[in-house]
Amino acid sequence: MTAQEARLCGLLLREHFGEVVEKIGTHLLRSGAQNLRTIASFLSIFQVKKSLCVLMKHGACRFSIGRKGPGSPVEYQASCERILGILRYPRYIYTAKTLYSDTGELIIEELLQRGHMTMSSIVKMVADRLTHNMEEGRSIEYNEVVSTFSKLVETHFLQRCPPVSEVVPPVSTAPTVPGAPAAPVSTGPPTPESFSDCYLVPSVSLAGRGKRRRSGEDVVLDQGTTKKNRLKPGKLTHGDEGIYWQVNFERFHLHFRDQTIISAVASKLDQTSSEIVRTMLRMSEVTTTPSASCTQALSANEVFRSLPANYSISRPILDQYLTLLVDDPMEFVGKTGDSGGGMYVVNLHKALTNLARATLESVVQEKFGSRSARIFRLLLRKRHLEQKQVEDFAMIPAKEAKDMLYTLMSENLVLLQELPKTPDHAPSRTFYLYTVNQLATARMLLQHCYKAVANLIDRRLFQTKESKRLLEKSQRIEAIMASLQASGAEPEQLTEVEEMISAPEKQQLESLRHHINKLDSAENQVDETIFLLKSYVASTARITR
Amino acid sequence: MKTRVLEEGQLDLLRNSSGLLYRMKDAQSASKMKGSDNQEKLVYQIIEDAGNKGIWTRDMRFKSNLPLTEVNKILKNLESKKLIKAVKSVAASKKKVYMLYNVQPDRSVTGGAWYSDQDFESEFVEVLNQQCFKFLQSKAEVARDSKQSPMIQRNSSFATSHEVWKYICELGISKVDLSMEDIETILNTLIYDGKVEMTIIAAKEGTVGSVDGQMKLFRGVNPIIQPTGLVKTPCGLCPVFDECHEGGEISPSRCIYMTEWLNF
Repeated sequence: MTAQEARLCGLLLREHFGEVVEKIGTHLLRSGAQNLRTIASFLSIFQVKKSLCVLMKHGACRFSIGRKGPGSPVEYQASCERILGILRYPRYIYTAKTLYSDTGELIIEELLQRGHMTMSSIVKMVADRLTHNMEEGRSIEYNEVVSTFSKLVETHFLQRCPPVSEVVPPVSTAPTVPGAPAAPVSTGPPTPESFSDCYLVPSVSLAGRGKRRRSGEDVVLDQGTTKKNRLKPGKLTHGDEGIYWQVNFERFHLHFRDQTIISAVASKLDQTSSEIVRTMLRMSEVTTTPSASCTQALSANEVFRSLPANYSISRPILDQYLTLLVDDPMEFVGKTGDSGGGMYVVNLHKALTNLARATLESVVQEKFGSRSARIFRLLLRKRHLEQKQVEDFAMIPAKEAKDMLYTLMSENLVLLQELPKTPDHAPSRTFYLYTVNQLATARMLLQHCYKAVANLIDRRLFQTKESKRLLEKSQRIEAIMASLQASGAEPEQLTEVEEMISAPEKQQLESLRHHINKLDSAENQVDETIFLLKSYVASTARITR
Repeated sequence: MKTRVLEEGQLDLLRNSSGLLYRMKDAQSASKMKGSDNQEKLVYQIIEDAGNKGIWTRDMRFKSNLPLTEVNKILKNLESKKLIKAVKSVAASKKKVYMLYNVQPDRSVTGGAWYSDQDFESEFVEVLNQQCFKFLQSKAEVARDSKQSPMIQRNSSFATSHEVWKYICELGISKVDLSMEDIETILNTLIYDGKVEMTIIAAKEGTVGSVDGQMKLFRGVNPIIQPTGLVKTPCGLCPVFDECHEGGEISPSRCIYMTEWLNF
C-alpha cells in the first residue's frame, strides 16, 4: 500500500461512492484494521456504518474478529486491490459484451454497480433494461436472461458470495452489517471457491417478460402477468433468497492474461500459432490453478481434436507448428514429454516475464529514444557490463553512450554494481558494472502507472469543475427540450430553446466532451499496463516463495 | 671481433634461454641504421618488438631507461627518417603509440573498420544497420508469402551471417573491407534493437561461412507487443514526472503537456 496507491484509491472511491465513503476508505487503508469506535472518531457513527455497508457490499472491506480475542470488538479492513479494481470495470464489461453480447454486458454492469445481488433481481433488472432499449411492442423473456446468466456461472465468471456462517464461539459479536459474508474465527475470510455450491445456479421460478418503463411514471406496466401479481408487485419470491452473486474477478484476470499471451503469439509468429495457443489455453482453463506457472500438460492428440472446426490443418502441420512454438526464443510453449504425440505446456510465467520485459523496453524506447533502448536491452540480456563493453556491443560512440547510461541511471532504470579488486575499495581498482534488475524496475514502473492514472483522473475532475457552469446550463436546456418534446411542442419553440446555447459555448462543450473522452480512454490504456506489470510481479512472487 | 661487428651494425644481439645469440642483419636494414647511434638503435629495436600494437612513450622510457628528453629527441629523429610513425589510439585520444613505418596498426589501436581517423563512424554503422535489417526483413516476408509449410517458412526466413556479409559486400556501400565478424557485430546490435533474433546451428566443417563447426542464423522478427499504454499518455513521457503534485507548481490541473495533448 504505497502513497500513490492510496491517492488513487481515494480518487476512485470519491468518484464512485462519494466523499464520505472516500474519507472512511482512505482512513481504513492508511491505518489498517480498526474497530468501529476508532473509525467513528472523526465522523458520525451513522455515516460510518453506512459507508462500511457500501464498502462491504462491493467487497472492498471485510470484517473479522478483533485481534485481542473473541470478546473484543469486530475490526474492519479495507482491501486496496479491490478498490483499484474499480479502474478495470470498463474492461470487464467490454469482455462480457464480446463473449456474451448485450445480455452478458448488462448482467456484469448491474453486478459491478451493486456489488452483491440475488439472481432473480439481476434477471428482472436486466430484462427491464433490455426491453427499454428495444422497439415498442417487443420485450425479452426472463428465460433468455437466465440462460445467459447460467452460461456466465458455468464459465466461472460469476460466483456465489460465501454464505454467512455461524461463528463458532457463542459470545461472538454479531456482525453489525447485514447481508455480508462472515469470517471464521481461525484464519482469514474463506475464499468463495471453498464452498462447494460456489458455481451452482439455483433453480428459480422466474416466469415472465421484461417490463417497459413509461417515462415520467413509476408504475410498471405488466404484459401478461396475473392479476394477483399486479396487485402486489414487491412481494414476488423466487426461491433464491439469501443466495447472492458477485463477479469473479480472478476469472476475468485469467481471461485477460490469456488474451495478452495469444495476441503476443499472433504478432510474433502468425495467426495459426495463436489459434493453437488459444486452444491450449481454453482446454486448461478449468484444469489449471490460477497461480500455476505453466498449464497442465496437454498431448498433441488432444490439441488436434479440440482445434476449432474452421481451422482444419493436418496432423503433421500441427506438429510442425508445435515444434516451432517450442523452439521460439520467447518460450511460450514448452515440451514436457513424448507420450500421446508429445506433451506440451504453455509457460505462463515465462510468457508474463517476456511481456513485462517488452513493456519495460517499450517505455525506455518511447521516453529516451531507440539508442537508449538498445543499451537497455543489451543490459537485460548480458546482465552485467562495463562501460567499455557497453559501447562496443551497442556500437554507440563513447561520449553518447556515457550520456545515455547516466540518464538511465538517474531515472533508476539502470544500476551500478561495484566489484572491488582490492580490500580497500579504491576507485581506480574497482570494476563498475552496469546492470538492470527487471523485477525492481517493473515495480517502480507500476507505481508510476498509478501516479499517471491519478493525474489523469485529477485532470478530468479539474476540467469538469472548470466548465461546471456551462455543463449545468446545457443540462437544463436538455431537460427543457425533453419535456417540450414529450408534451408535443412546435418546431419553433424547440429551435428557440436550442438557441439559448450560443455557438462558441456549443464548441466549448464539444471540446470538453472530446477532452473527457480522451482522458477516460487514456486511463483504460494505462490500466492495461498496470494489469500486465502486476500479473508479472505477482507471478514472480509466487515462484520465489 | 664480435663487438666490432656489433658496433658496425651488422649483427643483431639476441638472448634466448641458453645464452646469447647472434644474427646477421640483412643489408637493407643495416643500411637504414647507418648513421644512428646506439640509443637510437635501442629505441628502434624496442619499437620493432612492439609489433603492430605500438608502444607508448612512457613504456618506451621504462624499457630503455633513457631520460624523457633523450627519448623524445630520438623519436623525432626516427620519425623524420621515416622509420617509425605515430598513431593516435582510439581508447585515449591523447595517447600516441609508435610503431614501425610499414606496419599496419592493430585493430585495438585504430578501432577497426568502424573508426576512421579516430572518429567513430556512427552514420556508417547506422546505414549498415538499416541495410542488414532490410535484407533480413525482406527475406522473412518472402518466406511468409510463400505459403508453404510452417517449418519451411521459418527455415527459409533465416539468413546465415555469411549470406548477409556477401549481400553487404555486393551492395558496395562500404569503403573499407568488412569481415564476417564485423557484420556479426552489426547483426548483434540489431538483436539488441529487438528487431532480429539469432540461432546457432551445427554445421559441417568446410561449409561456407561456418566457424568452428557452427553457423549463426539471423531472422527478422516482429515485436511482441504494441507500445504499452503508459507511453500513450503525457505522464509516461513527462520529464518532470517526479516533481508533479496536486496543488504544486507542476500539477495535473495546470500541466501544459496535457493541455497540448488534449488539444491535439
